[in-house]
Amino acid sequence: MPKTVMEEATLPAISVNGANLHSEAFGPKDSTLIICIHGGPGGDYRYMLNCKTLATKGYRVVFYDQRGAGLSQRFPKIWYKSQGSDAINKIFYDELKGVIAHYRTTASQKVILLGQSWGAILATGYTGKYPTEINGLIVAEPGGLKWDDVVDYVAESRSFKLWSETLNDATYIDQFIAGKEDQHEILDYKASLMGATNEIVGDVGADLGNNAPSYVASRSGAVVLAASFELGQDTKPDFSAGINNFSTKTFFIYSSNNKAYPDSWATKISSVYPNKEIFKAQGVGHSGMIDQVNFWTTTMEPKIISYIQSL
Amino acid sequence: MKTIALKSIIIVAAFSFFQNKINAQVINWENISKQNKHLLHANVGAEYGVTAGLGYHHLIPIKKFPLWIGGEFSVPAGNQLADDYKARLGAQIRIAIFSHFQFSARIQGIARRYQNQSVTLLNFGSDFAGTLGYYRKHWFGGIEVGFDKAIVTHFKHSDWYKENIYDNVQDGWYEPATGGNFYYGLQGGYSMKKIDITLKVGKLLQQDFNSQPLLPFYGQLGVNFRF
Repeated sequence: MPKTVMEEATLPAISVNGANLHSEAFGPKDSTLIICIHGGPGGDYRYMLNCKTLATKGYRVVFYDQRGAGLSQRFPKIWYKSQGSDAINKIFYDELKGVIAHYRTTASQKVILLGQSWGAILATGYTGKYPTEINGLIVAEPGGLKWDDVVDYVAESRSFKLWSETLNDATYIDQFIAGKEDQHEILDYKASLMGATNEIVGDVGADLGNNAPSYVASRSGAVVLAASFELGQDTKPDFSAGINNFSTKTFFIYSSNNKAYPDSWATKISSVYPNKEIFKAQGVGHSGMIDQVNFWTTTMEPKIISYIQSL
Repeated sequence: MKTIALKSIIIVAAFSFFQNKINAQVINWENISKQNKHLLHANVGAEYGVTAGLGYHHLIPIKKFPLWIGGEFSVPAGNQLADDYKARLGAQIRIAIFSHFQFSARIQGIARRYQNQSVTLLNFGSDFAGTLGYYRKHWFGGIEVGFDKAIVTHFKHSDWYKENIYDNVQDGWYEPATGGNFYYGLQGGYSMKKIDITLKVGKLLQQDFNSQPLLPFYGQLGVNFRF
C-alpha cells in the first residue's frame, strides 16, 4: 500500500484540526481559492487532478485528502464513533474550515468549493453551515443530501444483480482477505481491489493525461468509510440544512452515463439550492466530468470558468 | 464510493446413505452402510456469493469411527465462471456417539482462486469444523461450528491496477495468513432410500470476532446420492 504522510515525509502535507493531511495547492497564492473536495468518504483527490489546470487560468487550486482517506493520517474507528451526534461537524466541517484557513492569505480572498459525489455533499453541508463565507459552490453529483436520499442513492448505484460477476467479486474475496477493525493497511488494500470500474454509475477509470503525477499511488480509506456510514445511520444528517440561506448561484452538475442519477433524481437533489445553474455532462459518468481529461478540457473547465466569472 | 454489503452463505449439505452413507459436508451418521460407500453430492446456495458445487466422498468403515474422505468443487455465479473457484479435499469422522446424539469432526485442505479487474489471488487454506447432531434413519439435525483459514496467498495484480491504483504494488506469495472466518449454524436433512436432501444455514464472523464479511450468512441446499 502507498505510504501516508505519517510514513513518507516527502509527501506534501499540512496539519489541520489535529490531523496531518496530504495536500497541495497550485496557482497564485492570493487569487480566488478553489477547494477541490473528493468523494468517498474514503476516496482521494488524485482523480480530481485535472482541476489543476484551473491554476493556469489564474486560480489558486487546493487539493486535500480528507482525514483517514487517501494519503492522509489514519485514525481508529473508535475515534470517529466517539465524536457523537456532532460527528459530521467535528470530522469534516472543522477540517474543511481548517484547510481554507491554511491556504487563505487574506480575509478578502474569495473561496469557491468544488466537490464531487461525497465531496459535493460535504461542500453543500459546509456552505449551508457557513453561507456567508463561501463565494461559489460547484457540486458534481451529490448522491443525496438528506440521509434517506444518500442511502437510496448508494443502494441504487450498487444494485448488483444476484447472479452477477460484480456482486460475487465484492463478496467472494472475503474468504481470502480479512482485516481487523483498525488494520488500515489490510482494509485499505482490500478496498482498493474493489475500486475498479462501476458500470452502473458509468465510471471507467480516471484519465488524467498530463495532469497525472509521476507516480500512481491511490489509497482508499476503508475505516473512515465504514465509520462514516455508521455515523450516518446513527445521526441521520441533513446535509442540505441551511443551504436555503446561500443565495449565490450554485453550479450543479450531473452526468448522462450514471444510470443511478436520472434527470428526475437530479431535479430532486438540486431542488434545495435556492439559486442554481444545472448542467448535464453528456457522455461521461459519475466522476467523468472531472476525471476524463478530454471532457474536462473541452467542456467542464470552460463551463466552470464561465460560472465563476458570472458570480 | 465503495460498497458495504451483506454476506450470506447458504450452505446446504446433503448426503445420504441408507445403510452406508455419508455426505461431504452434511452427513447422516445414523444412515451409514458398508454397501453404499460412495457418495455423490450437488449443492447450490450462498457462500461468499451465490455458489454451486459438486463433490464425491468415499466411506472407510472403521467400526465406531466411520471416516469419509473426498472432495468437492464449487464456483460462484457470474459471467466468468472459471475465474473464481474453490476446491476442498479432506476427511470427516464420527468421534463420539451417545444414543442418537453424535459428534463428528471435519478437516479439509482448500485451494481457491479469485480474480477481478484488479487482482488474481490463489490461496491455500484449511477448514476445521465440528458438528453435534441428533441423527435418525430418515432425518437429522445439528449444529455446526467451524473455522476457515486462508493460510498463504499468491497475489498477481493487473496492469489496470498498476496504472490506476498503485504502480509499486508487489506481486508474489504472502504469508502470514491473509484471512480467516468463523462460521456457525444449523444443518439438517431428510433421508430416503438412496437420496438425501440437506439444508445448512448459518452465520459468518471474521477472525477478530467483531467484523463481518459482506455476506455475513451462508446457506446451502444439497442432494446426496449413495451407491
